[in-house]
Amino acid sequence: MVLEIEDIKKLIPQRFPFLMIDRVLEASPEKVIAIKNVTASEQFFKGHFPGQPIMPGALIIEAMAQTGLVLHRQKFPIDKLLFLVSVKARFFEPVFPGDQLAIEATPIKLMSKMSLVKITVHAGDKKIAEAEMAVASKDAKTV
Amino acid sequence: MVPSIKDEILEIVATVIEKEVGDISLDAHLVQEVGADSMMALEILAALEKKYHIVIPEERLKEMTTVNKIIQMVETARKRG
Repeated sequence: MVLEIEDIKKLIPQRFPFLMIDRVLEASPEKVIAIKNVTASEQFFKGHFPGQPIMPGALIIEAMAQTGLVLHRQKFPIDKLLFLVSVKARFFEPVFPGDQLAIEATPIKLMSKMSLVKITVHAGDKKIAEAEMAVASKDAKTV
Repeated sequence: MVPSIKDEILEIVATVIEKEVGDISLDAHLVQEVGADSMMALEILAALEKKYHIVIPEERLKEMTTVNKIIQMVETARKRG
């Protein structure tokens, strides 16, 4: 199932300038693949870095987290605000203007109040990053 | 010697909580006494599911309060297949 930007907005609360995925190519509780087109006009390139535009790793994390949220929503559509609670990430290659990021999220464990997901990012054949991330609602203190 | 399920689970819990195996007693409350949090509980649960090819339903998470209770839960889940 392909999700266009308006469909994505129904699933996650982030908006401009912080909506970091443009399209979802595949969405099921087993896998979500999202696309982020990185353009030279991105605001953050003005300062990161002047004359040498590189997408900040923190924002790659954000794009990964938003893809993870879409995955969580495939199983739990209830609209509850989820917070990023854990990130274990590695970066392999920098991201430049013109890159198209394919962000793939697969579940490690999806639960209603807390989910742990594995996420990988590629730009073409290049592996950009991989991470394990968890999102949780504020009332997720279950133990 | 094949490690016992107790040793395996203790190892998983210790790795996630970042403590030494010897510092975790089997009946210590993992949150109140050992310093775990709900995020760590989720990581432990995910690791157990992967290692033992079992599915632990969400509602059982709150029962995972001590290593002994986790061992019991895993053994029950394995018997169920």
